Amino acid sequence: MKLGVVDFLDERFDARRVAKEFAEHRVPDHVNWLYCFGGITFLCFIIQAITGVLLAFYYQPTTDAAYRSILMIMDDMPFGVMLRSLHAWTANLMILMVTLHMLRVFFHGAYRPPRELNWVTGVLLFFMTVTFGFSGYLLPMNQLSFWATKVGSEIAGGLPLVGHYIQAFLLGGEKISDATLSRFYAIHVIILPITLTMLLVAHFLMVRKQGIADPL
Amino acid sequence: MDNIKTSHSTAGQDHGHGEGGVPFFPDHFVKEMSVMALIFGVVLFLATLMPMPVGEPADALKTPPGIKPEWYFMTVYQMLKYVPKSAGLVFSFVIFPPVMMLFPFFYNWYTKYRYGRLILHTIVALGVLTAIFLAMLAYLGFE
Ligand code: HEM
Repeated sequence: MKLGVVDFLDERFDARRVAKEFAEHRVPDHVNWLYCFGGITFLCFIIQAITGVLLAFYYQPTTDAAYRSILMIMDDMPFGVMLRSLHAWTANLMILMVTLHMLRVFFHGAYRPPRELNWVTGVLLFFMTVTFGFSGYLLPMNQLSFWATKVGSEIAGGLPLVGHYIQAFLLGGEKISDATLSRFYAIHVIILPITLTMLLVAHFLMVRKQGIADPL
Repeated sequence: MDNIKTSHSTAGQDHGHGEGGVPFFPDHFVKEMSVMALIFGVVLFLATLMPMPVGEPADALKTPPGIKPEWYFMTVYQMLKYVPKSAGLVFSFVIFPPVMMLFPFFYNWYTKYRYGRLILHTIVALGVLTAIFLAMLAYLGFE
């Protein structure tokens, strides 16, 4: 009796039927290159996850060590320059692509019923992607990081009534310190990756269930 | 409820079976893989030719000249120069996000009007152009 991997999985998970259904599901004819942007955003996220984890092997989130650890990544880590540059460029590309995806969805009217909830998930994904950018920007602790975070948190601090609390919450105090770096790091490598992944699962399940919207 | 029926033909269990379109595999899959290869090419190209600089170490006492935010914050940054600060902030952080998130739930209401959707899409298109324009002003360092 010959038992292959496929048979093994098939007996346990009905793998053949699932794969066949996925492979054979129809992609409508009106799908054109504008429909790429969502998938490209997802690809960017995967590149970010891989390069990000590798950077985290060397990066140290304290105000004392952060800058030095970036120098180490650039000078001593194998492919460190490539990893860091890929992470930075792909971050920008991801924000550009999620914006284009959102505009594509909007102007095709793909937000309309019954896809309202997928639009809501999408808006959350958009703001989380931008927050990824904001939190990651502080991590190298260079002049740009420091001043962008200072100006950014001061802008948030200008909100009437709650501004001061938001600013103190962001910075973990009155000014940029170890507390700030720790929380930006936690947001950047734990909170956002986990929540964004969960929302993406919901996003993709909804796309599969509801199909691609018809053109307007 | 009518809109739910007319705005799509493939929702529900029947999605992706039978009529129309091309099969996901191999027809569409080949295209997806080509785009993936292209994107890998683009980011490898950029990372190789324009590696990230390390920059100067952070120094709270040395304000660098001409601080500018990342490009995706430039629209808000520039707008805050022209409108009263608290009004601009309340609009950007309190009013805009929930409106953007929830407007599809009012679809059946605003499409009761003949040009409801056209008007909405036109307003947003103008908004997008304004956003790009403001970001360009910020990039060029306009006050
Ligand atoms: C991390 C961010 C995101 C990823 C990876 C992602 C991915 C995708 C993918 C792969 C699709 C399939 C169709 C396509 O690519 O056009 C899709 C569809 C969709 N997305 Fe996203 N998306 C993201 C963010 C957003 C945002 C910001 C919005 C809107 C605010 C949004 C709303 C939608 C809607 C409504 C659909 C269904 C479109 C249709 O039926 O034609 N998504 N998304």
